[in-house]
Amino acid sequence: MTFTSWQFGIFGAIVFGAYYLPPLRTLQIQLLVIASLFFYGYGQPELLPLLAVAVFGTYLFLILALRNRQIWLPVGIAFNLALLAFFKYKFLFVETTGPGLTGVTPIDFLLKLPLPIGISFFVFHNISLLVDLTRQKSATPNLTSVFLYIIFFPQLVSGPITRAEMFMPQIKPKYFGDIPFIEAAKWILTGFFFKLYVANNLNEMTSYMDFPLYETLQTQDRWLLVFLYSYQIYADFFGYSAIAIGLALLFGYRLPVNFNIPYTSASFSEFWTRWHISLSSWLRTYLYIPLGGNRHGAFRTYLNVMIVMGLGGLWHGAGLSYLTWGLLHGSLLAIERPFLARLESIDSIVFRTARMSLVFVCVTMLWIFFKLPNFDHAISYLSGMFTSSTNPNPTKLFYNLALLYSLPVIIQHLVSRSLFEQRLRGAEPYLYGSMAALMYLEAGPETSFIYFQF
Amino acid sequence: MQRISIVRWFSKCGFSAAILLLACGAATAWFGNGLQLPATTTRDGTLITLNRYAREPIPDVALVGSSLAFRLKEEYFATPRLRNLALAGGSPVTGLEIIASQPRLPRIILVEANVLSRATDTSLVQRYSRGRDAEPVVFRPIRTAVAAYENWLHAPLSHSQASFGHTQLLKQPPSDFDSRIYVDRALQQMNEEDPTVTARVNVMRIEQLILAVEQSGARVRLFELPYSEQLEESRSAKITREIVHTKFPDPERWLQIDFPRKELRWADGVHLDERSAVIVTQSVDRTLSSLLEQR
Repeated sequence: MTFTSWQFGIFGAIVFGAYYLPPLRTLQIQLLVIASLFFYGYGQPELLPLLAVAVFGTYLFLILALRNRQIWLPVGIAFNLALLAFFKYKFLFVETTGPGLTGVTPIDFLLKLPLPIGISFFVFHNISLLVDLTRQKSATPNLTSVFLYIIFFPQLVSGPITRAEMFMPQIKPKYFGDIPFIEAAKWILTGFFFKLYVANNLNEMTSYMDFPLYETLQTQDRWLLVFLYSYQIYADFFGYSAIAIGLALLFGYRLPVNFNIPYTSASFSEFWTRWHISLSSWLRTYLYIPLGGNRHGAFRTYLNVMIVMGLGGLWHGAGLSYLTWGLLHGSLLAIERPFLARLESIDSIVFRTARMSLVFVCVTMLWIFFKLPNFDHAISYLSGMFTSSTNPNPTKLFYNLALLYSLPVIIQHLVSRSLFEQRLRGAEPYLYGSMAALMYLEAGPETSFIYFQF
Repeated sequence: MQRISIVRWFSKCGFSAAILLLACGAATAWFGNGLQLPATTTRDGTLITLNRYAREPIPDVALVGSSLAFRLKEEYFATPRLRNLALAGGSPVTGLEIIASQPRLPRIILVEANVLSRATDTSLVQRYSRGRDAEPVVFRPIRTAVAAYENWLHAPLSHSQASFGHTQLLKQPPSDFDSRIYVDRALQQMNEEDPTVTARVNVMRIEQLILAVEQSGARVRLFELPYSEQLEESRSAKITREIVHTKFPDPERWLQIDFPRKELRWADGVHLDERSAVIVTQSVDRTLSSLLEQR
């Protein structure tokens, strides 16, 4: 069930209505758990047992690790990483479409299961739960609360990856009067607008980046589409995160902000504090720092950066393209690191704009490896950007349409936030109303969220 | 106090949304959906073509087919009142089903028989079948604005301007574009493909539809567009040709088109380039004029 489907609208309305009924107040957590299971199992009920195994297994290792952290914490983490590795990377080693695999029915059944939606996200929740609660030496939480933290439906499929120490204290009775309706509405409307108006419409154009369609493109259009994809993936993922944050607010939970106008970053390290913030901070907390961070000299620091970014790339998918994407980002972080302090000390708006442009262009170029997971296709697309096209029948793209569909992302990044928060404050409800109408009138064809595949 | 401000905020939000929706609804009712929206995908192009067919008077000649026939643009034809319903990425059966479902039929229907390996697009057929309203109630404001701008910027050429352009094009030598890489890829795909099952289903359906539309007074002719030499010998092309000619052996069922093959070039071995499409169109025109004279 996706956020943009009418089924989700009905589901959300029913759960919201029941959640705040006074007789059900004591059952709010249970209700959210049942609703989340329904949400996850809708259309793919065969994946529910896997989710149950992940949660029950993590809960068991949590109880054991609270007694003996040294032994059971690594085992619990290994259990979750094994789940992730099995489902995400089995396709590298096994041809799962064949009729008979091992001949052992239960193993064949597991091998033939599709990639469970959101597994990359709920596995990271599980690890966060194990690390945070055992570090704080907390009392053992009850199973329902653990279930809710891991499978809370707004964040289950694509995050934001909420840390246990942030979410668990929020589990308590919620009251209708405490709902920040306007804030929730602003997040939800913004999210749907970015998904339906920007991402879905741009997706129509960027579908020409796929193999073999990109061979019909003129050289300048290859360049244009890379930038459009950069806007699309931002609008798509920011849109999803915004809807998740807004929905969670309606149920009394505050999820972390996942994006902070990332394309205005003046350095690659700044970019990773603004893009997919919850993943960056998860990787920093649970991988980079345990690896030693920057505490063991320059070489180890660079090595740690490369390991974290390489694994971050592979987290998105088992493919050379994702690994290349991660390692190239790691290389850019490593290259800029010695110069960063000096660059930051230059106080010039022109210089900062030039740095922002350079970071934006580099980040955008690297999205090619994201869009084309087949490495050969990505390289072929990239090389075509630097050679003139000879195709006598090139695809026609409407540049004005591309600009109009990208405009919300451009405005959000370039126009000062204070303009909206102060000077245009009175016009704010009208602006959100117009966005609501426009996302209905001008919605692009339905496509699933890009991050659903991870 | 806080509750009042929440209600006020949502009222303003709802008001502006309602005003925009009403404005677009009123504009649609007033101006209609006549403006051709920019096509960003082949699906868009398909919808534009079919919307126009559903909205405008029935033409004398309608052409259905796949992306091969899609290249024979209407403006290349000298025959007036001709509509090309060929669907890029689609099956000729889809177009034929849609035409057959309309209350009135063209006098002549031309069916391209090169690509029969694709299933009928049933959702398109349902959408455009008799009595269904294919037009949206409210238009898309951004696309409509861009369409108006594009139409203003690139006004459609008059028939004489277009035919002058085509004459100039024909005076040029054939293209020397090196399409080997595309031909090799297309050949590989067409050799891997076995269209037997779908093609048999499609020719049976074409036969039924021909029977139905000819009983209502229309005449149907099949035609084949040329591939490049290598692709003429591909497995898919040969199987399709054999199936369709076995089902329709009568030469009278086929549109006789004659063109200088040496002058033809393909963008990718499959689809004719613009100059070649004009050449083939002219030969279709010649045959059509004699067909249209027959009553």
